[in-house]
Amino acid sequence: MSTLTIALPKGRLLSPALDLLESLGYDVHALRGASRKLIFDDVARGTRWLLLKPFDVVTFVEHGAADLGIVGQDVLLETDSDVFEPLTLPFGFCRIVLAARRERAQTDWRLAASLRIASKYPRITRRFFVERGWSAEIIPLHGSVEIAPALGLSDLLVDIVDTGRTLKENGLTELETICSSQAALIVNRASHALKFQEIQSLLLSLREFSEK
Amino acid sequence: MIERQLPHGVADLYFEEAARKAQLEARLQETFGQWSYSQVIPPTFEYYEALAAEASPQVREEIYRFPDRDGRMLALRADPTIPIARLVSTKLYDRPLPLRLFYIANVFRHEEPKASLRREFTQAGIELIGEGTAQADAEVIALAVTALREVGLGDFRLRLGATDILRALLEPLALSELQSEHVKSALERKNEAALNDVLRRLSLPREASRALLTLPLLAGDAAILERAAKEFAENDTACAALERLREVWRLLDALGVSDAVSLDLGMVRGMAYYTGIVFEGFTRGIGFAIMSGGRYDNLLAHFGRNLPACGFAIGVERVLTALQLQGDNVISLSPEIVAELDSARTLAQRVKVARGEGKRIEWSLRRCTRDELILFARQRGAREIWFADGSVHELA
Repeated sequence: MSTLTIALPKGRLLSPALDLLESLGYDVHALRGASRKLIFDDVARGTRWLLLKPFDVVTFVEHGAADLGIVGQDVLLETDSDVFEPLTLPFGFCRIVLAARRERAQTDWRLAASLRIASKYPRITRRFFVERGWSAEIIPLHGSVEIAPALGLSDLLVDIVDTGRTLKENGLTELETICSSQAALIVNRASHALKFQEIQSLLLSLREFSEK
Repeated sequence: MIERQLPHGVADLYFEEAARKAQLEARLQETFGQWSYSQVIPPTFEYYEALAAEASPQVREEIYRFPDRDGRMLALRADPTIPIARLVSTKLYDRPLPLRLFYIANVFRHEEPKASLRREFTQAGIELIGEGTAQADAEVIALAVTALREVGLGDFRLRLGATDILRALLEPLALSELQSEHVKSALERKNEAALNDVLRRLSLPREASRALLTLPLLAGDAAILERAAKEFAENDTACAALERLREVWRLLDALGVSDAVSLDLGMVRGMAYYTGIVFEGFTRGIGFAIMSGGRYDNLLAHFGRNLPACGFAIGVERVLTALQLQGDNVISLSPEIVAELDSARTLAQRVKVARGEGKRIEWSLRRCTRDELILFARQRGAREIWFADGSVHELA
C-alpha cells in the first residue's frame, strides 16, 4: 500500500484541522505539541504528516512533495496554483477586506490621484483593483499590515479579518469585503491519478464529516 | 570578466546525464518506429505568425520571438505540433492517409520560473493524421502507454477524458464566454463548491446543472462510464461522445493497455485546442504530468487542409527525472580499456578490432612510466591496460 503524505498549515487553521482529523480516527496528538519536528509518520495508517507554513502547503502539494494539504482559500487565491481543490472544510472562516484609518473612512478613494495599499495579499489586492479599473500601488508586507496606514506607509490596507477586533484595536474601519475564505482540501494532480483509491476514501470520509 | 552564468531555465547536459537522455530518446524512437511512425525534424525557428496563430493562448504568451535582420518577426518552436500541421497541410496532404509522424525536438517557452519548469526542454511525440476513428484514438493512447513502458517507467498512469462530452453539456446552456470560463475553471480544479456557486448564479435548468455537477465525480475505472450514461441520458450529443469513449476503452482493453489508463470526465485541459479525447500521464515521484495528448481535429483546417488528427508529446526531461527516482540503470562512461598509443602496429590493430566489437577504449596519449599509466587507468575507471609492448595489465 502506498502512503499518503498530507501537509497541514501551522497557525490558526492547525488546531481545527487536527480536531477534524482526530474525529476521523487519525492519531495526530504528536502534531499538537511544541515539538520542532516537521515530519510525523503514522506507520500504522500509512500516513505521513507535514507541518508547514500555509503558503508552503500549496507549494508542496503543487509539486507533489505532498499528496494532499489543508490550507485557507485566501492562500489559494493568492498563489494561483495548479492543484485540485475538491472540498471546502467547515472551519477557518474569514474575510479579506479593504480597510482604512477610521478618521479617513469617509474619503472617496476612487478620486485619489495615487493610492498606496499595504497587504500580505498583493495578488488578491491587484486583481481587485484591476477588476474595478482603479490604479493603486501595492506595498507587499509579510505582517503587521494594520499599522501601515497609521505610520504613513500606505493609504489603505487589504488584510484578513476574522472577528474584526484587530482592525478596531488599530483604529481601522472596513470599507469593503473583497472575498470570503474558509479551509479547503487540496490535492496534487499526479497523486489524484496515482493514489486515486486512497484519496477517494479520505475525501469521502471528510465530506461526510463536513456535511454533518 | 565575461558572463559565465546561464540564463534561467536552460541547462548544460553532460556525461552520464547526456548519455541517459540520448538512450531514452533512442528507445522512444525505436518504439515509434515499430508502430510504423516516421520521423519529422521541424526547423528551430520560423515566422512568428505561423507559429503563434494556432498556438494555445498560454503557449502564445510563452513564445520566444525576435526580429529577423529584415525586420520580420521570427519565433522559436514552442510546440512541434504546429510546424507539423503546417508541413502536412502544405506538402504531405495528398500522401496516402493516415500519416504517422513522430518527432524528438527541443522546444522553447518562456515559462514562469517555478521549480522543474524549464525554458528549453525536449518533447518526444507522435501525430496520427487523417484518421478520425475511435481506432485512431486507441492507437495513439496505446502507443503512449507502450512508449512509457518500453523506457522502463514502472508506476505510471494515463488519465483519459473527452473534451467533447463537456462541450456537449455546455452547448445547450448558451453561456457567455466569461460564464463558461467560470464553469471550466471550477471544473479544472475539481472545486465542487465553486462549481455549485457558479451554476446557481446562472440559474440554469435543474437537469442541465445536475449533469455538470457530477462531472468532477466521474473519475475512476470503467464503471464510471455506466454512471455517466445515466447522468447524460437527456443530452444526445453527450451520449454519443460517451459511446465513442466506451468504444475507445474496449479497444484499449483489447490492446492490453487499459490497466494503465483511468478515466476522468472532468478533465478540461486544453479545451480550446482538443476536440475529442484528451489525456495526461503521471508517474510516481513527479507532481506534474509527464506527457499529454489528445484529438485536435480543427488544427489542420486552419492551415487549409481539413484533416482529423490525434497525438501526444512526452516530456523527456520529466521522464528522465522519474526514471532516476525509480532507480534507473546506471550508465557508465568509464573506458573498459586504456591502451598506450605508440608506433606499435599490432596494438593499434587489436584496439581497432576490439572497438569494432563494441568495447570502449581510451588511448593514453602521454609517454609515462608503467606505474603512472596504471594510476591514470585507475582514475579513469578502466579494468584493463594494454601496454605498447603487448602486455596486458588487469586492474582489480
